[in-house]
Amino acid sequence: MKTGIKIALSVAMLASLSFGGEQFAMSDADRAMYAEMSENNPADIMVADGEELLGYMGGDEGLAKYLGVSEDDLPTYIAGFPRYIKKFDMVVGIDQMIQAMMADGGHKPLKLKSGNMFSLLAYVKSIANGEKINIDVNANPQMKEAYALGEKTFMTKRGGRGLSCNSCHSPDVVGRVLRTQPLPDLGANGAKAAATWPAYRMTKSSLRTMQRRFQGCMKNALLKVIPIGSKEMVALEVYLTDKAKGSEISIPGLKR
Amino acid sequence: MQRRDFFKKLGTATAIAAVVPTMSFAAGDSKPTGPNKMDYQTALNAITGGKTPVKSDKVKLKTPEIAENGAVVPVTVTVDSPMTPSNYVKAIHILNGKNSNARCIDVFLTPANGKAMFSTRIKLGGTQNVTAVVELSDGTFLIASQSVKVTIGGCG
Amino acid sequence: MAERKSLIKIKPKRYKDGEIVKVSFMVMHPMDTGMGKDKKTKKIIPAKYINSVKFVYNGKEITHMNVWESLSVNPVFTIYMKVNGKGKLVVTYTDNTGEVHEKSKKIKPRG
Repeated sequence: MKTGIKIALSVAMLASLSFGGEQFAMSDADRAMYAEMSENNPADIMVADGEELLGYMGGDEGLAKYLGVSEDDLPTYIAGFPRYIKKFDMVVGIDQMIQAMMADGGHKPLKLKSGNMFSLLAYVKSIANGEKINIDVNANPQMKEAYALGEKTFMTKRGGRGLSCNSCHSPDVVGRVLRTQPLPDLGANGAKAAATWPAYRMTKSSLRTMQRRFQGCMKNALLKVIPIGSKEMVALEVYLTDKAKGSEISIPGLKR
Repeated sequence: MQRRDFFKKLGTATAIAAVVPTMSFAAGDSKPTGPNKMDYQTALNAITGGKTPVKSDKVKLKTPEIAENGAVVPVTVTVDSPMTPSNYVKAIHILNGKNSNARCIDVFLTPANGKAMFSTRIKLGGTQNVTAVVELSDGTFLIASQSVKVTIGGCG
Repeated sequence: MAERKSLIKIKPKRYKDGEIVKVSFMVMHPMDTGMGKDKKTKKIIPAKYINSVKFVYNGKEITHMNVWESLSVNPVFTIYMKVNGKGKLVVTYTDNTGEVHEKSKKIKPRG
């Protein structure tokens, strides 16, 4: 009985989505105006902030040294995160590597969900701007496992409405518009989202990371929110970063 | 470096640029101070001194027909002007039609700008007109206006 | 006073003397209208918005602005400027609570 109601609700929700081109969809010219705004992205200030913060830990050079790569190879290496790091026996995002670097340097690590960490993450990922995402989900069993867990997290229907990430972000709903916004196709290969997070979110007037965005989406779709940096969350990032493999990194992004 | 010092550093580093001596502003500069209430017509009169601005295609107002987000609406005003000392755009004013204060910004230009353009982002409380009023160096006022639909977009 | 971050961007990055360049001033500022409420405390957030911005290039004011609360949070101000020799561009803003902030950028034309 209960399941019946859940299914009915999600069908109703899908029915309320309209196709692009209908009355409240924005025109291409309007969208172009918003795209132009990335020229002066308020998050550029946070990225500059992140650079300053990293400066206290040795800057790019210190980071490269900690990650065990040369400064020249740093951008390409960053473009491959999340990665399996043997030292921690975990698949981790760059933010977790920054935390580890702080701890190993004798500092109290910043929280993953703190604003300063978002700025640091945005700066560090922006080092890889212009590089193509080169995550390798077949590099080792741990990455394979993370990818599988990420896919499972993406596909699992849960919460009050029985929705999964895939319910709104699968190829089936591409081109559909939810309250003026075309739903981004995150499930298909070639989805570019991962290349443009961290990003400035105009709705929140602040810098948000990809995992933070997942949380917002989960909250609004009535799914229990998964903590940033948890195994599932990193796995979800692995899964979606793989979908964006080959896309050129351009940080910070600018989102509605 | 101790933990505490690291955070001290984080703290001070971010505070450096904040304080500078107060500058004196030119006379006749009426700076807005408190929460303001002004309707569109009053605002327009205050700018033009009662003159009727002329609709002109020399003024290009670029703003979306449908705003993705009422909190961030890009607005760019470009005016076709040689920007020479004898013929330049003195000011570009941006007004909204329905916010509780119709005035958004007054931009006073000089020939040193080279080109007459101003671009910013404004908040719109709902669907309304956005208007650019331009004052030329010969005292004439030009105007351009466009309606912007504000919707609640997407999730979250 | 709380930290306030700002940035001056010039486009293109390389420019010649006499060239007209695009100058953007970006600042982290809440631009509170005095009408919004704090979601948790339900109290009205007092007005705090930038009310004046000045662009001064080598001591000469090229543009000034009167600003009201309808500008977006973390606002951006973009104008053009004719490059006229080496020097410094100083952008200053004040807000309605008396906060004053200054940011400068070296102007270095090449060729």
